[in-house]
Amino acid sequence: MAELTKATVAERAKPLRAAKRSIWREIVKQKYAHLFVLTGMLIVFVFNYLPMFGILMAFKNYSITSGIKGIFTSEWVGLKYFKEFVGAYNFDLIVTNTLAISLLKLVFTFPVPILLAIMFNEVRLQFFKRFTQTVSYFPHFISWIVVSGLLVIFLSSNSGIVNDLLKSLGLVDNALPFLSSPNYFWGLAVSTAMWKEAGWWAIIFLAAISGLNPALYDAAEMDGAGRLRRIWHITLPGIRGTIVVVLILAVGSLLGGGLVGSNFEQSYLLGNAMNNERSEILQTYAFKMGLAQGRYAYATAIDLLQSIIAVILVFGSNYLSKKITKNSLF
Amino acid sequence: MHRRTVEDRVVDTVNTGLLLLMALVTMYPFYYLIIISFNNGLDSSLGGIYFWPRAFTLSNYEKFLSDPKWLMAFGVSGLRTVVGAAITIFFTCLTAYGLAYRNLVFQKVYFSFFIIAMYTSGGLIPYYVVLRSLGLLNTFWVYVVPGAVTIFFLVIAVSFFREIPPEMEESARIDGASDLTIFFRMILPVSKPLIAAMGLFVGVGQWNAWMDSAYFVNKDGLRTLTYRMMEVINQGMMPTDLATAERAAAITGVTTFSIQVTAMVIAVVPILLVYPFLQKYFVQGIMIGSVKG
Repeated sequence: MAELTKATVAERAKPLRAAKRSIWREIVKQKYAHLFVLTGMLIVFVFNYLPMFGILMAFKNYSITSGIKGIFTSEWVGLKYFKEFVGAYNFDLIVTNTLAISLLKLVFTFPVPILLAIMFNEVRLQFFKRFTQTVSYFPHFISWIVVSGLLVIFLSSNSGIVNDLLKSLGLVDNALPFLSSPNYFWGLAVSTAMWKEAGWWAIIFLAAISGLNPALYDAAEMDGAGRLRRIWHITLPGIRGTIVVVLILAVGSLLGGGLVGSNFEQSYLLGNAMNNERSEILQTYAFKMGLAQGRYAYATAIDLLQSIIAVILVFGSNYLSKKITKNSLF
Repeated sequence: MHRRTVEDRVVDTVNTGLLLLMALVTMYPFYYLIIISFNNGLDSSLGGIYFWPRAFTLSNYEKFLSDPKWLMAFGVSGLRTVVGAAITIFFTCLTAYGLAYRNLVFQKVYFSFFIIAMYTSGGLIPYYVVLRSLGLLNTFWVYVVPGAVTIFFLVIAVSFFREIPPEMEESARIDGASDLTIFFRMILPVSKPLIAAMGLFVGVGQWNAWMDSAYFVNKDGLRTLTYRMMEVINQGMMPTDLATAERAAAITGVTTFSIQVTAMVIAVVPILLVYPFLQKYFVQGIMIGSVKG
């Protein structure tokens, strides 16, 4: 009886062991492929995963001299840094600026690429369409450094072209202090991000529009619908899915500036002592606290706060869109 | 045959007008940079130049090319563009080839590892701590190593490699070639379009990068062109004593401003040159990127 059981077990285990052995044989046969993948994983682990452990710093009394090991060994301080930041004198200001710039960008820059794509689509001369479209996304490939250099040149109050133009048109008497007054920063952030990125995002909407069935337009024209009504009743509903997906992405990255992004670049490069009260945002503040002043743990806490808000926004907007439009990312 | 209605005409006119205005607003700033870079710096500071250089000169470019600070920065930017693109292409393609391997054991696990990394980040400060511990701060490698495997391109490369007909590899394997030989001798040569596209995008990213030079490097010899421009911009926003700058420039006619503009032109021109090639690839790129987030 016992012998029989043993034999049965052995019998049953055979295919399992054979399977295991064949997996091993398979891996050995694929050894280079595994080696290649592991090389890539090592690099990604070091530069992507290792910093994630660093988030622990936000809750610890971390000192930079203790290196990576210190992230794990330093003592816990709980929510100390979060409380400190919430109690900081400029907390309200920084949070207001971050939210205001982000929301203004969402409201004002989101419709522009859609509009631009529709405008390109309405052009009948193929040459003109291609030319204007090609021009429109060129700034996407230009560094924010060059763009802010351009802004400094164009908006300067002593010889900037914009002020020259405004003065010669008689719109203003004295040059407007675009870069040195806090009042202009938000508008500047929104309009320059739009200038740089609208053409780029129009590409995806234009691709969606060109996927629409031309027969729909012909039918609508037959029924007497003019150009604007065709845009309203065919083009826009046709790209609704794309609009929703892109909108979810935009809301998900809201604090970075949404579609057009670049909140950090703008506040960092165009922010200065004079417009600080409107240009300081969570990211630049975290940067200043961390890398400039060496308060690493505190800066990590501020960064983490922003990431948490961002995650809530992604899931929140996805959930809302699922409910309202039945379209969602996940 | 379509008959053009009044509405058609109005829509076409308004549309054409607005698009022309858009094109003008987009292009003119770059045109302006070019004319100022060919104009005497002192003369430029008087203003009023809009369409054509008023006092044509090449001295801004001569000054740029003879100033070791700018020339060095130009060299560092050029080097990181080439080396950075080469490193990213190599390691990303290597990893992608492994991932695209048919019937790879653990393929799903491997994939999730990379996809998770694409959506998450530890933030700037922990990243800085890691770079510091690895001894990468203040070295050239901090520019080119961290992006060695770029997951966005990894996903694209995997789908590219999967399109390669399996018969090619099989016949090579029958002839006794190892995976290593197949990757270097067979896969890489047939992946030229992929490599070209990756090279262009990574190269533009490297050429434009400035944050790493601002945060992770504190050595004069490692400053990039973007960083040097940033320095001048920061000076430019502060109300400075223009008279001093102009007196210094009296002999050559080159001012800080005119050399900054020249540097900006030099930063934009390479992108303008590769722009037609970039265009060829990015429509598919942006589609994949948006769907994957």
